[in-house]
Amino acid sequence: MDLSHLKNKIAIVGVGYTPQGKIPGRTAASFHIEAVRNAIEDAGITKDDIGALIVYRHFDAIAGDYETTAFTIGEQLGVSPAIISQEHQCTRGWLFNSIGLLNSGLVNYVVISYGDNARSGKRSYVKELSGGKATDELAAYGDLSTMAKYAMLARRAMDTYGTGPDVWKEISVAQRRWAQLNPIAAMHGKPLDYEGYYAANMVVDPLRLLDATPSSDGGRAIVLTTAERAKMLKNPPVYIRGIGSANRPVSPFKLDLEDDRNAATVSSRMAFEMAGIEHKDVDACELYDCFTYTVEATLRDYGFFKPSEVKEFITAERLGPGGELPVNTSGGMLSEAYYMGLTPVAEAVMQLMGRCGDRQLGKVPGSKTPEIIVCSDNGGVFQSHATLVLSRED
Amino acid sequence: MEKIRATEFFAPDISADTAAFWEGCKEHKLVLQKCKKCGKLRWPAAYLCPNCLSDETELCELSGEGVIYSYAIYHKPFHPSVADKVPYVVAEVDLKEGARLVSNIVDCELSELKCGLPVEVRFIDGEGYARPVFVLKK
Repeated sequence: MDLSHLKNKIAIVGVGYTPQGKIPGRTAASFHIEAVRNAIEDAGITKDDIGALIVYRHFDAIAGDYETTAFTIGEQLGVSPAIISQEHQCTRGWLFNSIGLLNSGLVNYVVISYGDNARSGKRSYVKELSGGKATDELAAYGDLSTMAKYAMLARRAMDTYGTGPDVWKEISVAQRRWAQLNPIAAMHGKPLDYEGYYAANMVVDPLRLLDATPSSDGGRAIVLTTAERAKMLKNPPVYIRGIGSANRPVSPFKLDLEDDRNAATVSSRMAFEMAGIEHKDVDACELYDCFTYTVEATLRDYGFFKPSEVKEFITAERLGPGGELPVNTSGGMLSEAYYMGLTPVAEAVMQLMGRCGDRQLGKVPGSKTPEIIVCSDNGGVFQSHATLVLSRED
Repeated sequence: MEKIRATEFFAPDISADTAAFWEGCKEHKLVLQKCKKCGKLRWPAAYLCPNCLSDETELCELSGEGVIYSYAIYHKPFHPSVADKVPYVVAEVDLKEGARLVSNIVDCELSELKCGLPVEVRFIDGEGYARPVFVLKK
């Protein structure tokens, strides 16, 4: 598929943050609307400029909330955009949808948002049960967690490629090092060493507690527009040089480790080809890291290393501050905060805009000012995937 | 060494598509759909064959033999009612005839488990249903 006509045609022009970490007493919707307000203010547009409001999927309402829908968020923002949508499940269609809407001229600005009160509301993420009753067949086997689905692919990778906790500890420690440079990261001021990683409880073997992203209160939003409009706004535009999107909609247990149809593989090839880049051109990666293993799998499926070389490639030195390939420079979802794909995308945009403070690439000793950052967004259990190649220059 | 024993979890939520599978289990038979047109074994159950979209389906009783594709060991109980059941093993089993099921591996030591090990089916009767589990083939 030749997507070169879309290269650098769309840009990300604003990012919205909220208080994050543990912020009790607030609804999920409140984080969405605060993030959107801050994102449009950051971009320098008004709420009436929003042509499309695309909201990430929301889990079941908790903490006394009503259901968090795109209508609620639209209502609370007082906007009436032409397009309002929300993914019901964890598909990752927002990127292609935004590109299509903007490039066709159907709308001028797209806002993407995520918000949750998962931490204060103690979200359990057990979706196979509802009110203690099974919602599918897997509950009959006690298979109650998304984590186990990732754990099974991680186990298969251990068996096939020789990865394992000794590799995942490197990811965990590298991202924790980044978090020490990010004052808003959940794990800021909480350094981690290898002993600390191994001391964490085994949750679903082979994955430990520190292999999983903790839940967060808070929200995140971004604003996208065309390159022409982007150049008139106040922030330096971050151009979308390459995009990829792919789905592998099979039950997680049917996913094979080695399969050319894997969503990350297909999506990354599309994005790299469109961007006209090779792996050596990438200055940093901001990757969806629901689990440590997801980072390994994404780097592998993107072709950054040969599967058999996983142990040599994935080291805290390479991925951490000052390393050859900085990965998840905010601390990522593992050590900063969990806002689905907007954790990695927001960080990439902030890095390319040069707004990252102590963790700014180019300022961190041993790092260079980034020109190209690759981001991933992953949904379900490796079932839906989006790749962005973001660039400072058009 | 921790010996993993069979235990009952939750009664499955059975749909119109999966009913035949669970009926088979009640008779301690592993029964999956097979496409009459292209011959592909189908799991999860569905109305059409996802390979050729034919709706001509037959039921096929399987040998119950397979190998472990992968497995995960639940140490954390994700629901209060399974607190006394951990650790337990959830596994993906590649059946000899060519479908992959999620099930449990039981009657084994955790240290014995490995991807690729041959396993065979057993059935456990629960309240109003029966479910397949697998044991290591000695």
